[in-house]
Amino acid sequence: MSAARGSNEAPLRCEGLARSFGGLQAVAGVSLALPAGQVTALVGPNGAGKTTLFNLITGNLRADAGTAWVRGQPITGLKPWQVARLGVARSFQDLRLFTHMTVRDNVLAATERSAWFWQPGGTAGRKRRLAAAEAALEATGLASLADARAIDLAYAERKFLSLARILAAEAEIWLLDEPASGLDLASRMRFADLLRSATRRGVAICLIEHNLDVVAELSDRIAFLDQGRVIAEGDPQSILRDPALAAIYFGDRHEPASAAAETEA
Amino acid sequence: MLFLQLLINGLQTGAIYALTAAGFALIFGATRIFHFAHGTAFTLAGYAFLFAWRADWPGWAGVLVAVAAATLFGMAMERFVYRPIQRHEGSFFTVFVAAFGVGIVVQNLIGLFAGRGLATVDTPLSFGTEVLPEIFVAPILWIAIGTAAVLFAALTVFLTRSHAGVALRALAQNPDLIRTYGLSANGLSVLAFAIGSALAAPAAIITAMTSGLNEAIGHQVMLISIAATIVGGIGSLRGAALAGLMLGVAESLALQFVDTQWAEAVSFLVLFAFILFRPSGIFGVAAAR
Amino acid sequence: MIAYLSNLATQVAIFGILAATLNFILGYAGIFSIAHAVFFGLGAYAGAQIALLLVPDVVLACIVAAAIAGGLSLCLALPALRVRGEYFVAASLGLQMVAVTLFSELKPLTGGIGGLVGIPLPTLFGVPVGVLPVALAALALILLATALLARGSFGRTLTAIRDAESAAEALGKNVAAAKTLAVGFACAGAGVAGALYALHTSFVNVESFTMDYSVLMMAMVIIGGTGTLWGPLIGTVLLLSLPAALAFLPFLPATEVGAVQQIIIGLAMTLLMIFRPAGLVGDLSRGQTTA
Repeated sequence: MSAARGSNEAPLRCEGLARSFGGLQAVAGVSLALPAGQVTALVGPNGAGKTTLFNLITGNLRADAGTAWVRGQPITGLKPWQVARLGVARSFQDLRLFTHMTVRDNVLAATERSAWFWQPGGTAGRKRRLAAAEAALEATGLASLADARAIDLAYAERKFLSLARILAAEAEIWLLDEPASGLDLASRMRFADLLRSATRRGVAICLIEHNLDVVAELSDRIAFLDQGRVIAEGDPQSILRDPALAAIYFGDRHEPASAAAETEA
Repeated sequence: MLFLQLLINGLQTGAIYALTAAGFALIFGATRIFHFAHGTAFTLAGYAFLFAWRADWPGWAGVLVAVAAATLFGMAMERFVYRPIQRHEGSFFTVFVAAFGVGIVVQNLIGLFAGRGLATVDTPLSFGTEVLPEIFVAPILWIAIGTAAVLFAALTVFLTRSHAGVALRALAQNPDLIRTYGLSANGLSVLAFAIGSALAAPAAIITAMTSGLNEAIGHQVMLISIAATIVGGIGSLRGAALAGLMLGVAESLALQFVDTQWAEAVSFLVLFAFILFRPSGIFGVAAAR
Repeated sequence: MIAYLSNLATQVAIFGILAATLNFILGYAGIFSIAHAVFFGLGAYAGAQIALLLVPDVVLACIVAAAIAGGLSLCLALPALRVRGEYFVAASLGLQMVAVTLFSELKPLTGGIGGLVGIPLPTLFGVPVGVLPVALAALALILLATALLARGSFGRTLTAIRDAESAAEALGKNVAAAKTLAVGFACAGAGVAGALYALHTSFVNVESFTMDYSVLMMAMVIIGGTGTLWGPLIGTVLLLSLPAALAFLPFLPATEVGAVQQIIIGLAMTLLMIFRPAGLVGDLSRGQTTA
């Protein structure tokens, strides 16, 4: 059931990751472990360095210091596509769907990793990939829209398409950047179900989320980031009730938010 | 001493390139439109001057006609080609192809009516006198450098002191700012095209008096302009002008080692090198990606 | 008359290959190359040399031409990997201009400005063969290949890269490899067209590989409609018939036909972009290519 494979090693781990832009320290030494089968929420005020942290892990940004490992293998310095092929799937805050392709093609594209003229695996492989794509479409409720163009979808459908791509990629580690923002309650519940069934399969999920209700519903653990550091980590109840953290989150301090760094992607 | 002569020639060419490149960079920076017909504005200005000259008009009239030709062309492109395209689709591809098409039309019209091949304006200004042993300098050199210097000074004042100029610079940094600034986006767009295209006119006139024009010169001009803009760094007008100057000098100095037909390759090689190793250019504000 | 039609058909086949391959990188990968004629030329010179030095076997010439043009396509691929559409156009513009100089100067390889003459007539495994059937076969093969690739995973990969490169990378796609392969395939195809051209005209020189020809190929793709299978072919037929059509206009002096042709092409390109960017065949609802 669990993909922990009897090993205590968290599927994704990082230690001391740091990155600055000019004089601005966006991520200042973050050490985090994402355990298999759990949802870890990454919360913090704007500019705390959450998206930058994702970018450091996926290789979109080069880290000034620190290392990250996937199942014990160091990934710092690898290109984003190499990190992805090790089983890390990442979604974007602005979705970045393949706008000129159909929904089905968007999801199919997620199953095709080879850059060669054709994919390995022959006909059997093709059938398998198609099945994975169809399953992802079914799970996200997009099966009836399979032939629609991504550009024509409604907002909620787009968010689910982004998730469908992650599902189809059959990754073991998910880094989701505000995947549920703007969704209504019913959609959020469907979304939560999808995450739950993924964790039951052993997927390690890390969620950047601003909506604290979503965080409370979904997460098994919370890491609170502020000014590039993890200043608190633990179970949702204690973190969400901590008044000091709330003050930081809702900006009761008078320090300037480092918003510029957050938009690096 | 060949080196010194080449350097002097390079400064002359560099001044021309700097003006043209700055024009292109201004337009691109303020409108984000890849104005591939900038070379056409150059060509039209040059041939307008040429026609005026052949019709025995006084020099200043020729200059006026050339500036008018370039400016009006730039504004017409903005109004009749780019604006309609931006209204419905506006992808880089459509803009580029449309501009390219116009370039082809103008090139061939000029070929039909003005004849093909090299066309020059013979003036005593381009006649060199020996100032040092083996070093020839023509008055046109001072005109080129002087014109470039004056125009750049004026441009700097305009961009830093006038409301419209500051707005143009703001646009280059952030196109969304324009709504809050109160000036119509279209008005500023036209202004950018007008000024940018006008800058090509003096460059074209000097070229007509020195190395000469041909109906296909637009391509060369585009290559230089784009190369200088990229090398200088997208978003930096100063960078484009400096890079233009640098390319002019480099091209001229290359003649020390290779024949003239390879000198053009210098710009390409520099461009290529920057694209491969430093796409954001020297003063790059935004990365090319 | 037969000879005239046969010649026209061969030209359509050859330029059809050029348009189809350019369409592949333009319409799917979003790589705006105005240097396609360079690879046409590389293939032509390669094929010509094979015919002159070894044996004018059409298959051998095509293979060598494809290899050389495809291999040297790295000159185009490398900048394509580093920068996007706008800035890449500049690189391809420069490449085209420098290539013309190279073609004119490298006498031992290209015959310089005079070109290579007296290319023997093509044979196929020793048997004399006309270029037309081979060209048509090559066109069919390449159209088939582009269709299969475009509809398969490679097409999806290229479109994904074009639409959202960072998302494509985040899904494990090696963007650099995909772009390089696409450019390699397209340029190899252009090389094949070049070899066929050399064997067809028995004479090659730099005049056929200038920017004007790159523009012509681009116009064929655009006017027909990018990203479609038949668009480039329709564009090819239209543009190649243009000189013949213009010949019917009595008031046109023969020397100016070329210029008028160019003017019509330029106008068509601009007007199409303003009023119908999808081209003649392209599907507007499918959306145009974006940078």
